[in-house]
Amino acid sequence: MNINYLIYRNLKKNIKNYYLYVFALIFSVGLYFAFVTLQYDPATDEAKGSVKGAAALGAASVLLVAIVAIFLLYANTIFIKRRSKEIGLFQLIGLTKGKIFRILSAENLILYFGSMVIGIFAGFAASRLILMILFKVIGVDAEAALSFSTEALIQTVIVFAVIYVLIMIMNYTFIQRQSILSLFRAVSTTENQIKKMSFLEMLFGLLGIGLILLGYYVSTKLFSGDFTSMNELFMAMILILGSVIIGTYLFYKGSVSFIFNAIRKSKGGYLSVNEVLSLSSIMFRMKSNALLLTIITTVSALAIGLLSLSYISYYSAEKSARQSVPNHFTVANSNDLAAYIQALTDENIEFKQTKRDVIQVNADLSQVIGANLEVVSGPGEQQPMVIPVISDESVEGIDVSPEETLFTGSSDAIQQFMSIQATGDIELTSPNQQIKQQLIGLEKDSYVSYYFASGGLPAAIVDHTVFDKLAQDLDPKIQKETNVYYGIDLVDPIAIDQANQIFKDLGISESTGNLSQSELIMNQKSNMGLMMFIVGFLGLTFLITSGCILYFKQMDEGEEEKANYTILRKLGFTQGNLLKGIQMKQLFNFGIPLIVGLFHSYFAVKSGWFFFGTELWLPMVMVMLLYTALYSIFGLLSVLFYKRIIKEAL
Amino acid sequence: MAILEANQIHKSFGNKFNKQEVLKGIDIRVDKGEFVSIMGASGSGKTTLLNVLSSIDKVSLGSIKIEGKEFTGMKEKELAEFRKHHLGFIFQEYNLLDTLTVKENVLLPLSIKKVSKKDANQRFQKIATELGIYELKDKYPNQISGGQKQRTSAARAFIHDPSIIFADEPTGALDSKSASDLLNKLSELNLKIDSTIIMVTHDPVAASYCSRVVFIKDGQIYTQLNKGEQSRQAFFNDIIKTQGVLGGVQNEH
Repeated sequence: MNINYLIYRNLKKNIKNYYLYVFALIFSVGLYFAFVTLQYDPATDEAKGSVKGAAALGAASVLLVAIVAIFLLYANTIFIKRRSKEIGLFQLIGLTKGKIFRILSAENLILYFGSMVIGIFAGFAASRLILMILFKVIGVDAEAALSFSTEALIQTVIVFAVIYVLIMIMNYTFIQRQSILSLFRAVSTTENQIKKMSFLEMLFGLLGIGLILLGYYVSTKLFSGDFTSMNELFMAMILILGSVIIGTYLFYKGSVSFIFNAIRKSKGGYLSVNEVLSLSSIMFRMKSNALLLTIITTVSALAIGLLSLSYISYYSAEKSARQSVPNHFTVANSNDLAAYIQALTDENIEFKQTKRDVIQVNADLSQVIGANLEVVSGPGEQQPMVIPVISDESVEGIDVSPEETLFTGSSDAIQQFMSIQATGDIELTSPNQQIKQQLIGLEKDSYVSYYFASGGLPAAIVDHTVFDKLAQDLDPKIQKETNVYYGIDLVDPIAIDQANQIFKDLGISESTGNLSQSELIMNQKSNMGLMMFIVGFLGLTFLITSGCILYFKQMDEGEEEKANYTILRKLGFTQGNLLKGIQMKQLFNFGIPLIVGLFHSYFAVKSGWFFFGTELWLPMVMVMLLYTALYSIFGLLSVLFYKRIIKEAL
Repeated sequence: MAILEANQIHKSFGNKFNKQEVLKGIDIRVDKGEFVSIMGASGSGKTTLLNVLSSIDKVSLGSIKIEGKEFTGMKEKELAEFRKHHLGFIFQEYNLLDTLTVKENVLLPLSIKKVSKKDANQRFQKIATELGIYELKDKYPNQISGGQKQRTSAARAFIHDPSIIFADEPTGALDSKSASDLLNKLSELNLKIDSTIIMVTHDPVAASYCSRVVFIKDGQIYTQLNKGEQSRQAFFNDIIKTQGVLGGVQNEH
C-alpha cells in the first residue's frame, strides 16, 4: 500500500459521502461558466445593448463567486474536522505534516478539478439553455446560438483555482496548528457544553422575538405616511434591518431554546421519543449555529424578497402598462396624430380612435386624503393638488350626476401614500368659482395616459355640465401643452407589432406624451426580466449552497448522535420510532430557518411592493412555494442520510 | 422458575472461508431473582454471550427463551418490542443521552409503554431515591460524576420492571468506591424487588456480589460457582482461585 493507493481509497470513500458537495461544486462551476460565457458572447449583444446586460451579468458573476467561495471554504472546515482522526492516525504512523498535506492536496485536486471539468462541460451545454431562458423572459426574439469562449474558460479556471488555493491554505494552517492529540480530540471539542437555561438566555430569547416583531411592525408603517422626511424614512429602514437581523440572531441564540425548554418543562421529564430526538437535540444545537443560521436566513429572505419583487414587476407589466396608457397608442400632438393615422391607413391597419378632452383643475382633497400630506408635497407648502378632469360624456358606460365625481386610475403606490377614501367631500377650484362635489368611488382602470395625471394622481370624471363650467374658466398656468387625449386602439391586436414599428419609424415615439402600450410592456419586461433572471440564478445558487451547508451540518450531527441511536435501539425503540423522531427534528431544523426567512421576506415585500407592480399575492406566493419546494429537497436528503445512520447504529 | 433458558447457543463471525466460532454450544439457565455474573478472560466470548442473550445480536444456532418466550427467530421489530418490555440494560460507558436531564434519561423506557405521567413520576421517585439520585434529577449527565451516571443508567434499567437486567461491565469505568456503592445498590435491589440481573465482568470483586458466577473459556462454560451461605470474602477467594486455574496460556509441548 503506497501513498497513491491511499489517495485513491480516500477519494472513493469521499465521493460516496460528499456527493452533494461534488454536485454543488459542479453546479456552481457550471453556472459561473455559463454566466461568463454569456458575458463574452456576441449573441447576447441584443439583450445587453438594450438593458446594459453585460454589467449586470458581470456583477452577478462576482456575487456568484462570493457565494460559492464562502460555501466551499465553509464546507471545507466541516470536512477537515471530520477527517481529523484520520490525519492524526497518519501522523501516528510517521507521516510528516507536509506529506499529509500533500496527500490531502492531491485528493482535493482530483476531486475539485474533476468536478470543475464536468462543471465546465455542463455549463457550456447549459449556457444555450440559459440563454434561451434569458431571451424568453426578456422577450427578445433571437436565435440562441453560442460559441465556446476561451476567455470565459480561462476566467473560470483562474477564479476556481484561486478558491482552491484558499482551501489549501486553510487545510495547511489546520494541519500545522494541530498536534496528534488534539487532532484526535477535534470532533469532541466541537460539542458544546450542555448547561441549564440561564435567566439571561431567557431574556435574550424574549428580546429576540420582540425585536423581530418590532421590525415587522415598523415595516408595515414604513410608507404609510408616518415617516415624513427622507431622513426619517432612512432611519426607519435602518431600524427595521437592524432589529430584524439582531432579532433573528437572538431568536436562534435564545428564543428557540427558550420555547423548546418551556415545552420540555411542561412535560415534567417524561419525554416521548419524538421529543427526545427533536426538541432536546435542536435546542442545544441551534444555539451554537446561531450565526450561520442568521446569515442563511437573512440571505434567503433577501433572495426571496428580491425574486418576489422582480416577479411582481414582471408579472404586472401588462396591467401597469394599461394603467399608464389605457389605449394601444396615445399621441398628444395633433400633427403627430395626423401623420400616424395616415401611416396606419396606408398600411391597411384598422383602428379605432378615442378622443377625450382633459383639463387640469385645482382640487381640494383634504377631506378624503387620510395621510399626512407633508410626505408628498414637503412640509409647509400645503397647496391644492392639480388633477386631470374629464367629462362623463367621453367615457362609455359611466354616468355621474352633477354633484358627483368618480376617481379613476388610482395606483397602489399613490394609494399607499395618500390613502384616499372612496367617498367624501371634495372641492374643484377654477379661478372664478368653486364647485363642491361628492366623491363616489375610486376605480383602478384609467382613461387617460399618465402624461396627463401628474405624478400618478387619479383622474376625476365629472358630469358634462360641471365639465363645461370648468372648461370655460381654466387656469392657464396649470394646463398641459395639450388638453386633448387621443387614444388609438387596433381592431386586430395581431397587427400591433407592425403598428409599433410605424410608431417608431415615424419618430413619434420620441416626443413626450406619445406612448405605445406594447412598448411600455416590452420595456418593463426586459428590464425586470433580466433582473429576475439574474436574481433567480443567484437565488438558486444560494439555495443550493445553503441547503448543502445545512445538510453537511446534519451529516455531522447524525454521526455525532449515532451513539444515542444505539442506546435508544438497545432500549427497544424500533428504527421506525427513531425515524419518526428524526423527521420531526428535520422539520424543525430546516423548517425554522425557512419559515423565519419567508416571514422576513413577506414583510419586506409587503412594505414596498406597490412601487413595483399591481399584483402582490400571486407572484409572491409562487416564488415562495418554489423556494420552499426546492429547499425541502435538502431536508428529505438529510432524512435519508439519518435513515442509514439509524440502520447502522445497532 | 427459570426466567432465562438458553440451549446450545453457537455464534460465529466471518464468512465460510474464514470462520471464527466465538460461542461453542453454551447452555445457561437463570432463575427469577438470581444475580448471576459471567466471568472470563478477554476474548473468551462473554460480551458476545451477553449481546446474544439480550437479543442485541443474533445467534447462529440454538434457542433462547425469556419467560418461556423464544426470541431467536423474531424479526427486528418484534425484537425491539421484546426488549422494550422484558429487558433492561446497564452499560460500561453509561450510555446516557447528553442532551437529556437525569430524570428524562431514566423515564425514557416508560415513554414507549404508554404509562401515565403520574405513575411514571411515582416510579421515578421510588427508584431514584433507592439509588440516591433523586436530588440530581434536573442535572445533565456532564454535570454529575461517573458513579452517579452509572446509577442513573441503573435506574433507567430498573424503571420499567423488566424481567431481566443485563449489565455489561457496569463497574469498568468507576473508581472502587463508586463501584462498591453501585454493586451494593444493585444487590439490594436484587433482594428487595426480586429482580433478575445478569452481569458481565472481569473484576472478581464485582463478581463476589453475585449469587452465582459462571466462568467462560474459549466460548464454552468452564465451571460455575455458587455463593450459597458463605461470606462475600470467602466467595471472593473462591473466585480468585478459580480464575487462577482458568487463566494463563495453555502449555505448548
